[in-house]
Amino acid sequence: MTDSNPFADPLRFERQVPECAIVIFGANGDLTKRKLIPSLYRLAYERRLPATVSLIGTSRTPLSDDAFRGKMHDSVKEFLEDSPFDEDQWAGFAKGLHYIAGDLSDPKLYSAIKDKLTALGRTNVLYYLSTQPSYYGEVVERLGAAGLGHTTTQGWQRIVVEKPFGHDLASARELNERIHKVFDEADVYRIDHYLGKETVQNILAFRFGNGIFEPLWNRRYVNHVQITAAESIGVEGRGAYYEEAGAVRDMIQNHLLQVMATVAMEPSAVYEPDAVRDERAKLLRSIRIMHPEEVPSHAVAGQYAGYRHEPAVNPSSQTPTYAAATFYVDNWRWAGVPFYIRSGKKLPKRTTEIAIQYNTAPHALFTPDAGGVIMRPNLLILRIQPEEGISLRFLSKQPGSGMRLRPVSMDFNYGSSFGERSPTAYETLLEDALTGDATLYTRQDMVEASWRVVTPILEDWANRKFEFPNYDPGTWGPPAADDMLARQGHKWRNS
Amino acid sequence: MNPAATAMDPEKILRDLRDLWARLAEDRGAAGGVLRACSMTLIVVAEPDDEADAETARKTIGVLMHVHPSRAVVLTPREGGEFSARVFAECWMPFGGQQQICSEGIDITADSEQTDEVARLLVPLIAPDLPVVLWCRGPRAFLDRSLDPLFPLANKIIFNTRAVRHPSSAIEFLRRMRKDRRQVADLAWTRLTGWREAVAHLMDACPGGWLAAASGEVRIEYGGGRPGTRSLYFARWIERALPGVNITLIPVAGGPGVHSVVFAGCGSETSIRLGEGSSLEVRTAERTYSAVLPPDSEECLMREELSILGRDPVFERVLG
Repeated sequence: MTDSNPFADPLRFERQVPECAIVIFGANGDLTKRKLIPSLYRLAYERRLPATVSLIGTSRTPLSDDAFRGKMHDSVKEFLEDSPFDEDQWAGFAKGLHYIAGDLSDPKLYSAIKDKLTALGRTNVLYYLSTQPSYYGEVVERLGAAGLGHTTTQGWQRIVVEKPFGHDLASARELNERIHKVFDEADVYRIDHYLGKETVQNILAFRFGNGIFEPLWNRRYVNHVQITAAESIGVEGRGAYYEEAGAVRDMIQNHLLQVMATVAMEPSAVYEPDAVRDERAKLLRSIRIMHPEEVPSHAVAGQYAGYRHEPAVNPSSQTPTYAAATFYVDNWRWAGVPFYIRSGKKLPKRTTEIAIQYNTAPHALFTPDAGGVIMRPNLLILRIQPEEGISLRFLSKQPGSGMRLRPVSMDFNYGSSFGERSPTAYETLLEDALTGDATLYTRQDMVEASWRVVTPILEDWANRKFEFPNYDPGTWGPPAADDMLARQGHKWRNS
Repeated sequence: MNPAATAMDPEKILRDLRDLWARLAEDRGAAGGVLRACSMTLIVVAEPDDEADAETARKTIGVLMHVHPSRAVVLTPREGGEFSARVFAECWMPFGGQQQICSEGIDITADSEQTDEVARLLVPLIAPDLPVVLWCRGPRAFLDRSLDPLFPLANKIIFNTRAVRHPSSAIEFLRRMRKDRRQVADLAWTRLTGWREAVAHLMDACPGGWLAAASGEVRIEYGGGRPGTRSLYFARWIERALPGVNITLIPVAGGPGVHSVVFAGCGSETSIRLGEGSSLEVRTAERTYSAVLPPDSEECLMREELSILGRDPVFERVLG
């Protein structure tokens, strides 16, 4: 709704997705089945999409509209998260599903899409690139050649680009140039689904909506920050993709650096897309770029035992399934505070969290000699998944005689304070793209800044031969990662 | 000392609540325990001597708790009735969840004349540091002052003017409450959200046409024989948005509430009319389409109101 509308009531009126079409490239792929269609169905279920929304799936596999609807029906039933499936609702939603088979390199596919959009009378179009990343540039160029992709007074044309956005800084820039030949930057939505998670968004609410935390959110009080994204599973049949990507490209360059930016950014003056993104981008640009000689002491690669036996994995693979790194932010707020980031597969459990460890009290009033005191620094944990919530660890007197202290935890659990089901990250992000809100999408300057941060690590590792495997499944990664922190007098929070 | 007042022992009620949680923890211990959830205190005043209304209120609260977990207090005034209180829990398993979530409630029956004592009783029963919402379900608040002692307890007071006999007096009452710096809401206003949203989206779609409408006239058709608070609010909302526009309220056959709104100006008309089922038919010079009205069940209306615990500037402007 426009700001000048005298009838606007943003407290009560839902954002309105206009009549539009969504064109998904790679409609037969896993992402479409597991995330995109279930999220769109759920938005429709909640009446957050117009009843007339059209969805055109494209892929190489020949399928009729009905066969495509049947496949998507089964996918939604299987992958719908925290929500029951309603056959009647599906029947209405499925009427808007269409399918066009074709090769991404064939101009006929794009003509067929154009004809379909014309037949459906849709001038607002969201294109979703869910194909192999190597096709991104070509798809965009062919859309442009078919006369699609340009926002006009008749309607908007936007494109959602899935990660990875490039393979390195140079390829990210090249891809960006190709996309900009057809789409304006304002119409490009680079998706990082971590930013769509409710709990990641809640970091901003927690930091900037409360008065008590932000004064303690700086180098004076924070000793260090740990960001962990651990998975208990392996590559699960995605060996070919993972061999190309590895832990740094798969998780750190995008998700975890975005999370770090959210944790460490300055408050924006207003909560508006570009104001928030400007602050994230500034933070990413403030991360110190490692010198090549610093990489061995500031970054650790790992590979779990058994990875080389996974399907489509090179038996002598040098791809890291674990990566840990120490970053520093060169600004007044964070100078000298280490940010430890790690991500790995086949770790003991699935967890994503941010742990902010505070400095200990300046004077040790309660010494260990005074009765079994366990001195522990205060710890603020922002849990992103599972069990979303926030915990604060502090010391308390143990009941009984004497002054014995024990660490205790004060917990906020998202689920217990808000009974309402949280939208999934893809529901949030798809609705944002359809309503033109890019706050939670990454911008080209952010993508480039994060590639710059990881480039020294990627270059160093590309030229080294690791003694892989170097950690067992079910452990917290290679011992070198513990050593990296131990050198600074720190320890990973493994819980 | 009033004998009934001596029976109002908040400590006992709080003890009963503690025992209730202990029992819940024991009963469900094997299944992963329960999660105690509370984001506000919701005090609901049922219609006097109307057990059916209290029962409806409890059912509505049961649904609302899934979205707005709260400590709920259901107060049923009874003429000459003795004070009684019992505690209860509302538990549910989130879809796909492993752990039950429970919220707590207190059922209180008290003599209609004892609202002062009940208000004092409620003070220690309010969940500390969380918002307090008072929901006055019926028209009683507009008829006498018996509920007044409860108002200072609440951060937000939700009324329902749908069935009041004197709509203008009810709006005047809310305006006075607002002037006394009380945060008030009216479910009759909440029922207008779908209509207002349709008008606002039309404005976005053809702002030029609306500028023309601003210099023309607006006709609001209402049913039920006399304009209720909904029609009055709707007219006032349009007047605030298009100052100077000429608004006429026209009675038509049919049930109470708004039936249509027509914006006329510069030789063209734009109308929104009640369609079939829960839809609106929107007609402009260029096209006709349907808009879906949101459900207007009590749960849905309350859900909307409970999600706005701060100021509601648009409603405040309408109250004036």
